[in-house]
Amino acid sequence: MKLLQCPINGIRPLSEFTYGGEYRDMPNPDTCSDKEWAAYVHYRHGAPGVKKEWWYHGPSGTWFIAERDTMADKVVRTYIAGQEEAK
Amino acid sequence: MQDAVLMSPVAFAHALRKPVSGEVNGMETALSFDAADVEASRSKTLSICDVSNLNRFGVKGPQAANWLQTAGIKLPETTNSWTPQDNGSLVMRLGNTEFLLEDRPENDLARMLNDTAVNEGGVHKVMRNDAAFIVSGELTPALFSEVCAIDLDGATLAENRLVMTVIAGVSATLLKQTLNGQSVYRIWCDGTFGPYLWKTLLSIIEEQGGGPVGFNFYYSLT
Repeated sequence: MKLLQCPINGIRPLSEFTYGGEYRDMPNPDTCSDKEWAAYVHYRHGAPGVKKEWWYHGPSGTWFIAERDTMADKVVRTYIAGQEEAK
Repeated sequence: MQDAVLMSPVAFAHALRKPVSGEVNGMETALSFDAADVEASRSKTLSICDVSNLNRFGVKGPQAANWLQTAGIKLPETTNSWTPQDNGSLVMRLGNTEFLLEDRPENDLARMLNDTAVNEGGVHKVMRNDAAFIVSGELTPALFSEVCAIDLDGATLAENRLVMTVIAGVSATLLKQTLNGQSVYRIWCDGTFGPYLWKTLLSIIEEQGGGPVGFNFYYSLT
């Protein structure tokens, strides 16, 4: 059974979680160029490595960030968005 | 015109067993499934009881804790924990800024809060339509080992902790409390999943030699 650490609820089976996509900084839609916006909407960075990802713990409704090495499928750390300094 | 009487979200799952039913808090509920001594025996082995009819009040928002404290309610200090009020009502802290209160049948704290208008920012009422169960008996570890992926023995539910996890594929809130001198587990899930969860848990409970008990077993109505 694969396990994942929810920053609020602790270690839980992966079946309690849903993957929410890669975390990416959104350019300011009012000031960025069309090219920048199109790249943000359509492009994904597929190279393996440590990625920031959104994950959702369903039973408690908790969204959080997991930093995951997509080459090794190993989660480096998890934290609530905006609280990464505490981890 | 008659006032509408709600039915427990689990009522149709009860119907085949022909329980003695009655109205509690405006909700038609199974009061007993069998003779009192049979239900008492089940509760010691393994049993499930539908308590969806208890009044509940949900609230969330950055000012929710202040609002509840102003109303004189004692709050759990940490997320994923619960505390009883002096009158027996439960207050659960589901997140930093989200709370769920549940009354016993004889008190009306949650009903009063539901009737209170909220006119300040940062406080939002949360509609609740939970299916709620009490599970008891010495074989509860065997039941949960079949339907729940985390180990509920030991410290997981100690010291007024609560757990939000998946039970038989359904997101649920779970805690352990003492009720009428008996250690019991409490389960809340979305009401629409109630019949499925009731049937699934009851089928395992009956395999283990237990069965359903009615609302009156825990909360005698006089």
